[in-house]
Amino acid sequence: MIKTLLPKSLLPKWTVLACALAIAGQALAAPVGSIPRAANGKPDFSGIWEAHGAADHDLEPHAARKDAPPGPGIVEGGQIPYLPAALVQKQKNFANREKDDPRLKGWTLGVPRGVYYPEPFQVFQRRRDITIVHQFGHSVRTIHTDGTPHPGGDRNQFWLGDSRGRWDGDTLVVDVKDFNDETWLDRAGNFHSEELHVVERWKYVDPNTIEYRATLEDPQVFSRPWTIAVLLHRHREKNFQLIEDYRFTLDYDEHYPPKPPAGAAPAGGSTTAQPAGGQP
Amino acid sequence: MNRKVKAALAAAWPAAAAAALAFAVLPRADAAEPKDKPHDKPLQTTERIAFEPAYAEIKSGKWTGKRLPDGQPDVEGHWSNTVANHNNWTDPQGGIPGDPNPPRRALPPRDGRAPSRVTDPADGQVPFQPWAKAAQEDFLKNFHNPTEPRYIEPLARCAPAGVPKSFIWHGYEIRQYPGYVLFLFNSGTRIIHLDNKPHLPANIKLWNADSRGRWEGNTLVVDVTNSNGKALFGRTGEFASENAHITERYIFANDGKAYNYVATFDDPTVYTRKWTATIPNKRRTEGDAIDGWHYEVALNHDDKGRRVIERDERICTENNIGFGHVAVTPAKK
Repeated sequence: MIKTLLPKSLLPKWTVLACALAIAGQALAAPVGSIPRAANGKPDFSGIWEAHGAADHDLEPHAARKDAPPGPGIVEGGQIPYLPAALVQKQKNFANREKDDPRLKGWTLGVPRGVYYPEPFQVFQRRRDITIVHQFGHSVRTIHTDGTPHPGGDRNQFWLGDSRGRWDGDTLVVDVKDFNDETWLDRAGNFHSEELHVVERWKYVDPNTIEYRATLEDPQVFSRPWTIAVLLHRHREKNFQLIEDYRFTLDYDEHYPPKPPAGAAPAGGSTTAQPAGGQP
Repeated sequence: MNRKVKAALAAAWPAAAAAALAFAVLPRADAAEPKDKPHDKPLQTTERIAFEPAYAEIKSGKWTGKRLPDGQPDVEGHWSNTVANHNNWTDPQGGIPGDPNPPRRALPPRDGRAPSRVTDPADGQVPFQPWAKAAQEDFLKNFHNPTEPRYIEPLARCAPAGVPKSFIWHGYEIRQYPGYVLFLFNSGTRIIHLDNKPHLPANIKLWNADSRGRWEGNTLVVDVTNSNGKALFGRTGEFASENAHITERYIFANDGKAYNYVATFDDPTVYTRKWTATIPNKRRTEGDAIDGWHYEVALNHDDKGRRVIERDERICTENNIGFGHVAVTPAKK
């Protein structure tokens, strides 16, 4: 295109090259070679990641409501293709979302919900596996990348499913199955059965951004497979780290540990003695 | 058995059942190899948990064993303590005092059981201030028949086992990465940061605390702050406060088969002096029998037919319905 606009003699070669790279850079989003790579040459997803947006409020497009900001949805094609009976269940879930969402109990969010839930997660990568620690619940997921299959047998009921990954070029493709049916997909009551099967595709678009796509199928709940896509952003704040969030313990943790008798000044000058008047 | 229930059983044995089950393991339905897998031996299993009565010293010094590419001593793999579970902090093989269902076999005399985990002071007792000693004894007196929430051990409600109890509660896995050592416990996870970043702000208190580590030869030295002090050390009710400053030394033997956890507890809110705990640990490998306690793993095979040891997720469902119940989610409507 540049050639048609300008006579070739007026365009030094380096300019052509620079323009071509700039265009390619826009198209591919990341020049090859700039993303972090592991010793074996595969992309290295190590780091702390988090999605933006309202996906966890509702995967489907939605206007603002009292308990959710508006969002364009992350489902390709807009709507989740529910089977008729499952749609009825989804609508029940939606109506009861303020008490039935497992998130409210602090339970493990599942796959893929933990990925687009608005709390950070940390990826630790080795050749044989990728470990994901979610801040929410400190849930730990292992994606095996050593050529092992889903074991099946009695290893078939997992909150996070059983994850087996392989590399397709620079894309990590993860097959996830053997779920339980305790998790929801978002706060709007979208759900799945034990027959959920998720195929994830993790791919860098630049050194600090991952494109995450997941195709979900579940013959008990959906009429056909459907796909979601979100971007994951790297946390780069200085000294950023996960802070464990075991919120399911908050209902009872006030009872521990034993406290010194009221009025007793802790020996050694504790820095956390209650001020006069104590807690409300 | 449903994985969720199984995990809950493992993490939340009721006290009465624990006495009966303490040395039993949950059956595995998949002991036989699936037919489409290469025909090699399944993992050995054992019906009994073997605990050892003695501690062996491991000297701090040079690391001459395997290293990872980033230079860390390679201590990845499956480990467990060798002496006892969390029934009793200072008399690890002595059972829970006051147990209404004590083991049928009489205990050997005190000097025939493992020594206290408290290795300094020499009397083997936590140097509690008087109020704290009274609180610990009050917990123990009420443990078997809890009438108040504070007498229910948090681990029975799926809370993380925290520091240091995680090391005496089931086997666990260590995974290492540049800048990190990751401990995956049966109940809880610790991320040890090796990068010298500052600790979290002091008012953030966590079940698994906040850990900064560094390697000194064969020893991983970890500075632990920000503990919420809630996890208790054992069913005997020993505890620290949220002001505890714990210095852990993980001293690894150069053959890679064992390490000693040596932790110094400094907490002027609760103790009269600093004191030290020691917990010996042993590596579990493919040659060891899985037993549902020290070593809870499963066998898989890669695409070349090689054996691969795997660890399943550990997720304990909340069971806030009092001590003695396991986690079962309500029946589907």
